[in-house]
Amino acid sequence: MGRYFLLFLAAFLINNILLIRFIALCPFFGVSSKVETSIGMSMAVIFVMAMATMVCWLVWNFLLIPLKLGEFLYIPAFILIIAALVQFVEIVIRKVSPALFRAMGIYLPLITTNCAVLAAATESVKPGFFKLNIQYGYAIPEALVYTLGVAVGFTLAIVMFAAIRERMEVAPIPGPLKGYPSAFIMAGLASLAFMGFAGLFGL
Amino acid sequence: MDVSLIIKATLVLSGMGLVLGALLAVASNFFAVEIDPRVERILEVLPGLNCGACGYAGCEGAAEGIAKEEAPITACTAGGHEVTEQVAVILGKEVEAKGVPPKAQARCGGGRGKVALRYIYDGEVSCHMAQQVACGPLLCPYGCLGFGDCVEVCPLGAITIGEDHLPRIDWERCRGCGLCVETCLRNIIALVPETSQVDVFCSSPEKGKAVRSVCEVGCIACKSCEKVCEFDAIKVENNLAVIDYDKCTGCGKCVEKCPTKCLVAYPKKDTKS
Repeated sequence: MGRYFLLFLAAFLINNILLIRFIALCPFFGVSSKVETSIGMSMAVIFVMAMATMVCWLVWNFLLIPLKLGEFLYIPAFILIIAALVQFVEIVIRKVSPALFRAMGIYLPLITTNCAVLAAATESVKPGFFKLNIQYGYAIPEALVYTLGVAVGFTLAIVMFAAIRERMEVAPIPGPLKGYPSAFIMAGLASLAFMGFAGLFGL
Repeated sequence: MDVSLIIKATLVLSGMGLVLGALLAVASNFFAVEIDPRVERILEVLPGLNCGACGYAGCEGAAEGIAKEEAPITACTAGGHEVTEQVAVILGKEVEAKGVPPKAQARCGGGRGKVALRYIYDGEVSCHMAQQVACGPLLCPYGCLGFGDCVEVCPLGAITIGEDHLPRIDWERCRGCGLCVETCLRNIIALVPETSQVDVFCSSPEKGKAVRSVCEVGCIACKSCEKVCEFDAIKVENNLAVIDYDKCTGCGKCVEKCPTKCLVAYPKKDTKS
């Protein structure tokens, strides 16, 4: 249990996907102008990431590794899976829950090409891929916990960032810094703050 | 180079593509949503501005509402009469008598330099914000603040704020959706018939003396326009001249007579300042 908690924490805070690793910057700046839209995007990301990782983990362990194709084919294969999966989810949601479709509908196609989802899927089969190459594979519950950590970390960062940006809208900022410039500065400062988590519990 | 590896990789990827494609095809059939074809056709004729003046979140919602007959076929004010006609054709309904689409008119002539100021406002450029600070920088509590909340809300970009801090409404672009009317916190903007030729550029119901003390161009309710009008088209009500657009012929006599020049005649369809 403690291992899962640490795994979650590592993905959630210490290696926060947006603020520490700077993956998925497009939604981080694109849909963070309002808290409402950022929450919608985050919910879609949590949902898609968990599903995509599960499918990618299965494909990796039962298709790519037995055929010895994993080392070079994982990126195109995962992109294919994620894109098809998002489309599939969109079709199903539209039928099953029109209300959910209306709330999440615009964000789902955006996620098709989201690097955060690919990063989470890659890391769940190749742990520590973006930092150090550990020869270790997650079992499926570990992969799920890890992915949820990444997705919730995404939610935390983007919602927090959107809240700050909403306040910045009405703040007296020098003209040239209004909008994106100040958002980038803020992202840097938030990133610095998150670096403070490094070393927590020896992670 | 191991050729079999290349072939294997190609086969695996194309096989995955095939399986996923087949899955999607099956899913889209299995989970097909029956969409009312009229919704799509209505959506095509709607302006697609997503302005929200109809009360729905966007044109898509409006199209659905109109098709389900939750909303009248005239729901789209921004599209005006042409859209109503096209929607009526799609739904097989009769259009009621054609109404002239109204245009927005900002009824205040008290730009900077003409109206007395209480202080210089140098905060967030927003009428609502300025109003929070001692009821705005103008001494006239009915005058246009000129910080452009109406500009922000106009989905057609028809409104600009001139150098005198007054809104100019481009009637070529305005479709009379009325979003600016709702937004203006001082209720200066009104919808007037497109055919109107003279208007009162003051919204202050104060008595003449009070108006004159704060603004050079306010309506002082002197009633000289009422006396000079041959068509009984202008009346002073509640200390403010009110024009009956049906009766007004645009002769311009009241404009000549008006001592404070708050009555302005404008060429038809012209933007007026």
